Amino acid sequence: MGTSKSITRELRSWFRLPKSRREFLDRLTFVFLAVIAVIITLPFFAIVFEVVANGWILLNPAFILTNMVGFAEGGIRNAIVGSIELVAIASMVAIPLCVGAAIYTTEYAQRGRRRARRWVQELNKWVIRIVEFTADVLAGVPSIIFGAFGLIFFVAVFGRSLIAGALTLALMMIPTILRTTQESLRAVPLSLREASLALGATTWSTSWRVVLRAALAGIITGILLAIGRVIGETAPLLFTTGFNFDAPWGFLDAIASLPFTIYLYALQGHTEIIRLRAYSTAIVLIGIVFVVDVIAVWASKKVGLVVRAGGV
Amino acid sequence: MVEAKIQVNDLNAWYGDFHVLKSLNFEILPNTVTAIMGPSGCGKTTFIRILNRLCDMVPEFHHTGEILIDGQDVFGADIDVYELRKGIGFVFQKPNPFPMSIYDNVAYGPKTHGMKDINEIVQRSLEQSALWDEVGHRLDEPALKLSGGQQQRLCLARALAVNPGIILMDEPVAFLDPISAQKIEELIMTLKRDYTIVLVTHNVQQALRVSDSAAFLYLGELIEYGRTSLIAETPKDPRTEAFLTGRFG
Repeated sequence: MGTSKSITRELRSWFRLPKSRREFLDRLTFVFLAVIAVIITLPFFAIVFEVVANGWILLNPAFILTNMVGFAEGGIRNAIVGSIELVAIASMVAIPLCVGAAIYTTEYAQRGRRRARRWVQELNKWVIRIVEFTADVLAGVPSIIFGAFGLIFFVAVFGRSLIAGALTLALMMIPTILRTTQESLRAVPLSLREASLALGATTWSTSWRVVLRAALAGIITGILLAIGRVIGETAPLLFTTGFNFDAPWGFLDAIASLPFTIYLYALQGHTEIIRLRAYSTAIVLIGIVFVVDVIAVWASKKVGLVVRAGGV
Repeated sequence: MVEAKIQVNDLNAWYGDFHVLKSLNFEILPNTVTAIMGPSGCGKTTFIRILNRLCDMVPEFHHTGEILIDGQDVFGADIDVYELRKGIGFVFQKPNPFPMSIYDNVAYGPKTHGMKDINEIVQRSLEQSALWDEVGHRLDEPALKLSGGQQQRLCLARALAVNPGIILMDEPVAFLDPISAQKIEELIMTLKRDYTIVLVTHNVQQALRVSDSAAFLYLGELIEYGRTSLIAETPKDPRTEAFLTGRFG
């Protein structure tokens, strides 16, 4: 009751004339900013509307569950499975590397080992700086450069293949996974490390069984964010994967992917059917990214819980 | 003559330029409770963190003199710091159970050291810390669901699980309610049959209740050390008396 009364009062105060020029300006600013806030949500809705309105027509189980037959017929199973394969292998490469590097920088190099010689401590500090600096720069490198790098280094060795594309994506995942893992590890209270060390555990055991475990939700969030980012990347795959109408698991086979498929369709979208297929493929890709991001947000909320509950 | 469990010989400690502990000399007998008292910042916590070498975590820390535990210098070149810490349980000021199950908390230490019969160790440790009756039937629940007092007793059980000879406690009841605090104090008095206990506290009444001997530290100096009852009745130093009577602290 009190609420409805106060809402009425609030509304009434809005629809009465402003008492002064200052009040008028203040209200004008409010409205202006509110409109801007609404405007920035428009691209999202516009994109989703455009894609769904055009693409829903082709979307059916067969489209998802069957392979392409030529570009214009069949489903896009090869692209969906290909994207999953690429991201799965990229994750398997990037996760251990990044988590290992993060444990080194936060658990080993930074915490003082009093007995370590001063030059070792200095060296450790420099390694941390270099690791973080290169990861941060890597985050800003345009994705086409990754593609070119993959072409020169990985394609030269493996040919246009699943493994070449996955390794290129793995490089792109490094900054996100490394930095979020570091943040999550640093958020683990020092007292947990001390409790473990005081029991006679080694730094490794402490990092692996206590700190990593406490930070797990945060690390998973970082991994999902990285996956959500690279699963939609086209440029790194442009020169590295080739294309395939099936989705084999051979590392050296060429492989299709969702973004690359959309790219090809857009490139040759002169016929109506190709144009529609591009939109349908886009729905699938957006859907996957959306699901991954929702899980990431959910996981990051859990992190908050864990950190608060363990916040000793 | 009983041999000292812990012998402190002319111990000095610094954090960088800050002189935390100044020429400490005293010994702690086995199966006793020793209270380390003193106002905040007097070096109490630093002292017990030296005993199990947790001070190694601070890069600026350095020291002179020696601390002998069972005749071995804790800073000795041939000391195995992991074995040293295994022999010394540590209970922290704030309860800090690991974010895992009750069972896993207690089993963590024994597993780390490859000990056998983990189930029995877990039960024995929880019984020793008077927690078994409360949690014995729900060992797989998360430790963080326990109350603060239970968490602290769990931390004690976790420390007991690796069979230490010494238990260090850093103001273990500072964050607990009076009833939980009383339980911990009762445990301290039972446990001294099997363990040597060093208890850091700035609560004078608590020190009087549970300890056999007491050390009074002030600005890094050992002002007074001896039987707790003697110190309480006839403090030799005016600063001790002032502290005991609550004029500062």
